[in-house]
Amino acid sequence: MRIIRIALKDLSIRLRDRNTLLMMLFMPITLVAIIGFALGGVAGGGISTVEFLLVAPAEEEEHLFMENEGELLTGAAANLMSQIEMFDAEVATEEEARAAVGAGEKAGAILIPPGFLRAVFDTATVEVTVLRDPVSRIKAGIVQSLAERLATYASAGGVAGRGVFDAIEAERELTDSERWKLGGWMFQWMSERWREPAIGIESSDVEEDEINVYAYFMPAFAVLFLLFTTVASGKSIHEERESGTYERLMTAPVSRTTFIAGKLAGSYLLATVQILVLIGLGTLLFRIGWGTNPLAVVVMAVVTAAGASSLGLLVASFTRTARQTDSIGTAFVLVMSLLGGSMWPVEQAPPAFQSVARFTFNYWAHSGFKKLAFADAGLAGISQEIGIVLAMSAVFFALSVALLSRR
Amino acid sequence: MREGPVIEVKNLVKRYGELAAVDAVSFEVERGEIFGLLGPNGAGKTTTIGVLSCLVKPTSGSAKVAGIDVTRDSLGARSRIGVVPQEIALYPTLSARDNMLFWGRMYGVAEAELAGRIDELLEVVQLAGRARDRIDTFSGGMKRRVNIAVGLLHRPEVLFLDEPTVGIDPQTRRSILELVKDLNDQGLTVLYTTHYLEEAEFLCDRIGIMDEGRMLAVGTKSELTALVGAESVITVRADGMDASLVNWLEPLEGVSDAALGDGDLTVSVTTGSNVLPPLVERLTSSGTSIHSIDVDVPNLEGVFLHLTGKSLRDEADEAPAEDPAGAKP
Repeated sequence: MRIIRIALKDLSIRLRDRNTLLMMLFMPITLVAIIGFALGGVAGGGISTVEFLLVAPAEEEEHLFMENEGELLTGAAANLMSQIEMFDAEVATEEEARAAVGAGEKAGAILIPPGFLRAVFDTATVEVTVLRDPVSRIKAGIVQSLAERLATYASAGGVAGRGVFDAIEAERELTDSERWKLGGWMFQWMSERWREPAIGIESSDVEEDEINVYAYFMPAFAVLFLLFTTVASGKSIHEERESGTYERLMTAPVSRTTFIAGKLAGSYLLATVQILVLIGLGTLLFRIGWGTNPLAVVVMAVVTAAGASSLGLLVASFTRTARQTDSIGTAFVLVMSLLGGSMWPVEQAPPAFQSVARFTFNYWAHSGFKKLAFADAGLAGISQEIGIVLAMSAVFFALSVALLSRR
Repeated sequence: MREGPVIEVKNLVKRYGELAAVDAVSFEVERGEIFGLLGPNGAGKTTTIGVLSCLVKPTSGSAKVAGIDVTRDSLGARSRIGVVPQEIALYPTLSARDNMLFWGRMYGVAEAELAGRIDELLEVVQLAGRARDRIDTFSGGMKRRVNIAVGLLHRPEVLFLDEPTVGIDPQTRRSILELVKDLNDQGLTVLYTTHYLEEAEFLCDRIGIMDEGRMLAVGTKSELTALVGAESVITVRADGMDASLVNWLEPLEGVSDAALGDGDLTVSVTTGSNVLPPLVERLTSSGTSIHSIDVDVPNLEGVFLHLTGKSLRDEADEAPAEDPAGAKP
């Protein structure tokens, strides 16, 4: 009974503290909102419009295939690309393009070299330059892909056009007017192929068509801030020692084991409240679907709270003072969260890094929630995560008790 | 209720490596008395109280509270004692009432009784009107009073107060000492540690003087002062005194010795004798010009000096600036 009383006292103290509430709820929700907004919220249509520039080649008469070639080429290409909803292409000079990309106003620019069209029809080598904004890596990458696609079509069109021209000119010499007409017809043909390629590729993600970015980062940050909460709970053991309340408790009929169990129970209760509220807020604010099995979500939440509270206690058992717990605890939580994928998608890391991540509490707790949100895995589907997090909790708790009992 | 001493300490030793924090200390505290442990910082007072309140495990010897050996039945002993630590051992963001509810439950006070007991104690410490206010909104003195009230929640047989007036203002100090007196008047046994002579003299029925881990003497104030002799010394500095004055003094009742030095007259008298008024009258009537008169009455400071060869005031971090009792003698 005294264990529950100590736990409820801690819960009451922590919930009255505005800073605690700020760290428990406001901070994770705010960070998830910011990151989700930055990444477009829903990954399927999430990347906002890719704005880029097309730079016409400088006019060099000896290389020109046709009159106003550069202007026509870039204008047509810009028009063609802008027909795709995702792209917003404009024509600019090289100087303007360098300035705009350098300032981060545009994600990239495609610089078409002089004599491009002639080179295409002569099937000669020519290099298209892409200017990339290093800050907008993803969008700049898309611009580069677009340039590569353009080069592929132009090369294919050039080869085909060369064949047509050669075949006709084997019979007779073409007039300029005929060249124009034939060139225009071929350009039209290429444009249609661009919009509706003969060979289409249909992509199908393993997950749902639309990925809710919030569903990835909400549990990630929930686990991170859960650890901050439980480390602060662990810190309260030192605070009680430093304020004299621990000594006073030891003069009452309260054993040390009761005290430690009470502190752990308080930390656990608070962590459970936090994770459940964050899951609820995630559903309400970010339309996160946690699958069709609410029981699985609750089980994952309470198991995660158990792991986090044991880990918080373990951090406190390694430290000597409240202040030390603050500094070491913060560093510990940040490192664990970086390693375990609470701050970034660890799935994109090299295999060796991912192997290290598997040793962290964050990784397994996050993995359980991801399986629920993205694969509707249910209780059976997250049994591995539940088992591992519970095992970690038991180890952390046993270690904490052993270390704290020596004090 | 059990007969005999409430606290029995026999040959208590607590060593930290080579250092003996408490060295073969023995004393008893009778039911209903205020027993003071007086000594400078590091004398072993807090360690002794630590053993009695089950916080410190003794190296050897025995300590019993209400007949219970604190090392054999720690939980049993703890339920009989109330401890008021030097620090404000309360939760600052909880109200006075919530603090007392929590501590009452820790001490095992029955739920049915707890609310009433809290009301009663808040009345005693004169904080009934602030029951629902957070502790961190209280003044230092109010916090001290709640700190004491918490130690009384479970109706302990003996209350341990470990230097409860260190670092507080004279007014708060006075209110705390009066509260302790009142509690004792209601029958509570108190073990009080202090390094303030005035507090010990004002408050305690009996005093144990400690230094460097040893108990040097135990007794009432008069028993202790008797150790340094029962005489006061009057020293007069004046012009024009001669041997006739000594001859006049020596036959007076209560005078054990009189001597004239280099402009100083030193008279040893039995404490409480009434020599000073006739002496002053004789000096003034003879036209002697008096520069100063000092009366050195034996007190605990003298006792401590006598027992240790050093002054307790020099040892203490800070001595209280005024009479602890305020107007009370």
